[in-house]
Amino acid sequence: MTLPKGFGSGSAGGSSSADIERMIGKRVENMTGMITISFWAALIATFGGTAAGYFYYPWAYPTASGHFAFIVLTIIETIGYIFCVKVMEEGSNKNSNGIIGASVAGAVVFVLFVSLYVGW
Amino acid sequence: MRIHCFQNSYFIFRINMLSNMAQMPALIPKEVEIQRLKKIWLIVIAMGSTAASVEVDNFVDGSLHQTSIRDSAFTPAHWWLYSHFITLPLGWGASAIYDRKVPVLRGPNNSMNTGLKMTILGYLATMFTIGVNEMWHFWFVEEIFAVPNHWMFNMGVVVAFMGALAYVVRVYARLVELGAETPGENPYVAEMYKMALEGKLYSRAIP
Repeated sequence: MTLPKGFGSGSAGGSSSADIERMIGKRVENMTGMITISFWAALIATFGGTAAGYFYYPWAYPTASGHFAFIVLTIIETIGYIFCVKVMEEGSNKNSNGIIGASVAGAVVFVLFVSLYVGW
Repeated sequence: MRIHCFQNSYFIFRINMLSNMAQMPALIPKEVEIQRLKKIWLIVIAMGSTAASVEVDNFVDGSLHQTSIRDSAFTPAHWWLYSHFITLPLGWGASAIYDRKVPVLRGPNNSMNTGLKMTILGYLATMFTIGVNEMWHFWFVEEIFAVPNHWMFNMGVVVAFMGALAYVVRVYARLVELGAETPGENPYVAEMYKMALEGKLYSRAIP
């Protein structure tokens, strides 16, 4: 197989597994940590958006609406998060069900706490 | 002097292209291509989640306006509503830059993917129509859906969505072709994928 300039052993033209690894860079199945951090960043940003409603515009943005939006959005973000990790790890022997489970459970606890105690 | 003419091999090449579209030549190692396609797919899922959340925010904005009639760009529901104006261009831009590493996603003459070109063209039409729309509404205030100044908005958005959908479907179909994704369990869909892999999906006349 013809490889881009800089890859391969020279005149022979064949590709070694080391070349393939260099072309791939960071493998998607090893991105679970980054995806999890992104999920939590999105969740906290979402809370920031609704919190501006609870604390700064309570007269214009009913707290119940904010909580409803926060719950629905967390569900959407969680589905995206699970899709991301599952699709990236399928076909590999990696398995991050523990990380996903802990992360989703943490999100559920966080959302319940916010919905019950924040902004009322 | 050689007079340029189409040779027979040109037509044979076209026939092969048409009957074997699902079997693109492998220009990079299969494993590399799968990894790169999945990185693009990550961006697609992130953009899809953002778009879905903005759909929810349409209702949040409606809730806000139950109590607040005055509007500003800085109400929380609007920060969130306008977040996709940042997320989606950044996401599509990242896809357009990164997919240069995936040969099957290139357009003619190694240009940008045709689907992304259609999307850009569609939104350019929409942007041009903003001016047309402002001129129209200077004279006629009522917002009636079918007035001519809205036509190009709608056509532009449809063209843009078709292009984006074509791009996303191409990425997914290629993942299926490479065996990285399992086609749907619906037997009709599975049959379509089988025919695509055999190169028969696009033309039953040419086996």
